[in-house]
Amino acid sequence: MITRILVIAAVLVACAVFAIWWRRREGRLVPAEGFFEHADVGLQPRERPAAVLVEFSGENCAPCTMVESRLHKLAAELPDVRVVSIDAGERLDLADRYRVRRVPTVFVTDPQLRVIWRASGVVSEEALRGALLGPDWAGRPHPGGVDAEPVPLARLRSRDRSRRRSRAKQRTPARPPA
Amino acid sequence: MATRMIDRNAHRWGAGISVVVLVIAYVANLSALVMIIWVALGIGTFFGLRYSPLGAAYRIGKKALKLNIPIVPEDEPPPRFAQLMGFAMLSLSAIGFYLLDNRVMGWTFAIIVAALQTLLAATGICVGCEMYLFGKRLTANRGAA
Repeated sequence: MITRILVIAAVLVACAVFAIWWRRREGRLVPAEGFFEHADVGLQPRERPAAVLVEFSGENCAPCTMVESRLHKLAAELPDVRVVSIDAGERLDLADRYRVRRVPTVFVTDPQLRVIWRASGVVSEEALRGALLGPDWAGRPHPGGVDAEPVPLARLRSRDRSRRRSRAKQRTPARPPA
Repeated sequence: MATRMIDRNAHRWGAGISVVVLVIAYVANLSALVMIIWVALGIGTFFGLRYSPLGAAYRIGKKALKLNIPIVPEDEPPPRFAQLMGFAMLSLSAIGFYLLDNRVMGWTFAIIVAALQTLLAATGICVGCEMYLFGKRLTANRGAA
C-alpha cells in the first residue's frame, strides 16, 4: 500500500514539474531572426507599418482565436500596427520556412519585416505590449530601434525620420560664406 | 463543414474524475475500476464526447451543486482524439490485466493515463489534443508534398 502511494506521489510530482516547464515556455516571447517578404504578409512592397504581428493559426485551434482577438485589440490601440493571420495548414511553405511547429505562433516584426520576437502558444497581451512599446524587458532593442522609454508606435517613424534628417544635416558640411 | 463543439470545462472535469477513480483503483489494487474508465473513454471516443459518462457526471454534479462554472466552447475532434489515446492505453492495460495476467503492464498503462489526465485536469494541458493538431499539420504537409 505504501509503495503504491509513493508511486502515485512520484507521478504527481513528475506531472507538476512537466506542467511548470510547459507553462514557462508557453506563450513566451523569445528573440528570433529572419524576415518576411511583403507578399507573404499581404503588404504592398512600399508599405512600412511600424510593426507587423504575424499569427500562424490552424483549424480546430481554440487558443488561436483568443490570440487573434488579443492581436486585433492591440492593433486597434496602437496605430500603424498590422495584424496578419496565416493558416499554417494552407501556407505550409511559410510554416516550414519559419519553423512553426505548433499553433498559435506569433511573430513580431519591425517596419522592415525583420522578425524580432516569436512566441508559441497563448501569448499574453502584456508581453506583446511590452515587445511593441518597450521598455525592453529582455535586453533586446525595441522593434522600432528607438530609445527604451515607451513610445507610441505611430510616432516611431516620424521620430526616425526627424533623427535621420538631423543626422544628415550634421553630415552635410556648412556652405562656405559667399 | 462546421465541427461539433464541446464544453472544455466538462472535458477537464471529466479528466479529474477519471484521475480520482484510477488513483483509487491503483491504491486499492482494483483493476475493475480501471475497466469502468476504459468503457467511459470508449463511449466518448466512439459515440462522441456529448455521450461520455465522465462529461455527464460533470454536468450532473454541476447542476446538483449549483456550481457557476462557465461553458467554454471547444472543437470536438482534438479532445476526442485524446480520449481515443486514453482508450487505446487502457486497452493495453486490460490486455495486461485479463489476457496476459501481467499486472505490472496493466498498472503501467493505467498510471500513464492517470498522469496525462492529471495534466489536463490541473493545468489544461491536453497532450492528446496537441498530438492531434501536430499530426494533422504533418499529414497536410505530406499531402502538399
